[in-house]
Amino acid sequence: MDNIAIKVNGLTKIYTQSNKPPVVAVDKISFAIEKGKIVGLLGPNGAGKTTTIKCICGLVIPTEGHIFMEEIDINRNLRFGMSKISAVLEGNRNVYWRLTPCENLAFFAGLQGISYRSVKPYTNKLIELFKLQDKRNTQARYLSRGMQQKLAVACAFVKQTDILLLDEPTVGLDVESSYELRELIKNMAKESGKTVLISSHDMGVVESICDCVIIINKGKIVTDDSISNLFKLFSTSSYRFEVLDKLSTLQKEQIQSQFDLAKIVEKDSQTIIDTELKTHDELYNLIDILKSNGSKIESITRKEPDFEEIFLKIVKNEK
Amino acid sequence: MKNNITLFITIIKRDWLEMIRYSFNMVSGIVTLYLLFLFIFLGYRAVGAQTANFGNNLDSIVVGFMLWNFSTFACSSLTWNLFEEARIGTLEQLYMTSLGFDKLCMFRIVGDFFLNFIFIVPVLVLMMATTGRWLHIDILSLTPLFIFTLASAYGIGFICGGLGLVFKQIQSFFQIVQFVLLGFIAAPVNKIPVLKILPLSLGTNLIKEVMVNKLSITELPIIDLILLALNGIFYFGIGFIVFKICEAIAKKRGLLGHY
Ligand SMILES: Nc1ncnc2c1ncn2[C@@H]1O[C@H](COP(=O)(O)OP(=O)(O)OP(=O)(O)O)[C@@H](O)[C@H]1O
Ligand SMILES: [Mg+2]
Repeated sequence: MDNIAIKVNGLTKIYTQSNKPPVVAVDKISFAIEKGKIVGLLGPNGAGKTTTIKCICGLVIPTEGHIFMEEIDINRNLRFGMSKISAVLEGNRNVYWRLTPCENLAFFAGLQGISYRSVKPYTNKLIELFKLQDKRNTQARYLSRGMQQKLAVACAFVKQTDILLLDEPTVGLDVESSYELRELIKNMAKESGKTVLISSHDMGVVESICDCVIIINKGKIVTDDSISNLFKLFSTSSYRFEVLDKLSTLQKEQIQSQFDLAKIVEKDSQTIIDTELKTHDELYNLIDILKSNGSKIESITRKEPDFEEIFLKIVKNEK
Repeated sequence: MKNNITLFITIIKRDWLEMIRYSFNMVSGIVTLYLLFLFIFLGYRAVGAQTANFGNNLDSIVVGFMLWNFSTFACSSLTWNLFEEARIGTLEQLYMTSLGFDKLCMFRIVGDFFLNFIFIVPVLVLMMATTGRWLHIDILSLTPLFIFTLASAYGIGFICGGLGLVFKQIQSFFQIVQFVLLGFIAAPVNKIPVLKILPLSLGTNLIKEVMVNKLSITELPIIDLILLALNGIFYFGIGFIVFKICEAIAKKRGLLGHY
């Protein structure tokens, strides 16, 4: 238990509105996040990611269930919970537009009771790391979207909490800014041993910075596993053979009869065979068939799914 | 303790910075208020110059007008600021302070109370210069009267702010509240003493006694002073309770980040 940063137990959130049917946004989910881990919270639109994060932040009161940090129920002791977490919430709406980056950082440190004098060296470091030096005295409303988002993340860091919650921090950023921001989050979190829960629709971000992912769909957890395990789980046994010449009719018949999933495509003087090979024997059998007519194998590749495909498969299977 | 001082300074500094950044708004606000007063003043002079009490009545208008501005600001510092912060998305961040949002609100009120003087004093000076009648400003007597009078305005502000968290559309509602405040300030408590139970009414009356009739706080009826203190505490407390109820509803419905 000691190495658990956040424990969510049977969390349920049902939004009730007048004249509208209640919405079950989160449905009895439970998970635990280990200290120092970066965990991705994934799911299609409306899956309940933001609701989950806001419940952890104490901004939305759960209908049922509990959230523990160090064995303390945060809805019993909200101030304790808030001393543990900082968050960047959905949309670029987390900083004061009329204040400069420096003033914003000072403000958010102050919200946590950290005096500006004591945090000044750290704010300077953050400004530098997040490449905001040139803009340190420019009001946030004049910064680019990417810079505003970086500032919001920096403001979360300046509170120096153990846990960081990020709700779609890279949404709306261009490829480069998104890359920059995700590297910063990863490096800084690892450096200071922070626990991070990050929601994102960008599978590149998730794959590159998360240790584990929790995938939710329609308010329920469908997967809670490490990224490497998911890759193993979904590693396919599909192979592609490129052969330099055309196959004989006999070869095609043999392949088709032994490997029912095989697809043979002939292009110019080249043949491409896509098939599933479940055992090593099958691999040898196929090679033997090719060898029987002296076909020259140009390449054999094993196709790995990318994380986006894995994600889609998981979400679709659950429908 | 040190944390709390840091939080207090942080809150005031932010309010101060925003005030400077919006200094155009501030200056235009002062000008608008002054023009509005000028309008009232010229109108009143045209119809009331012959009456015996003209001077004293004019002073009362100045004091009433000042208190109206002050209570509008007090009210809006909770209503409008909460609404603005929900809009720009920082309200949720404020709620996540580890020192507690309630404390933060109280600090903001104290800070605002002082910052509002920066707004009010120039308007007051302009008004007095225009009428040519300088009011009696006895700081020692006025401070406690102001605090308890405005406590009830902050209470109303808490109610408006709380309703704003839940119902969002508060601009038009707030405009109505402004006129209700005017009604409270103008309530004739001398003729109908029971009106003393309204927010702002008794306080306005006592402040007029000091500023217009040049009484010191020790010369005011003790029963009225006690009543004023109770009145301020009551409305502030009720306002805060209503606010907490609204806040709980907003948290239940997930509305803190909406606008
Ligand atoms: N304040 C609210 N009142 C009523 N329903 C809400 C509220 N907030 C969210 N919902 C509903 O709850 C469900 C989950 O929403 P949530 O915002 O948590 O999803 P999400 O996973 O963050 O989606 P996205 O990827 O689009 O950000 C949705 O059906 C949404 O319409
Ligand atoms: Mg969301």
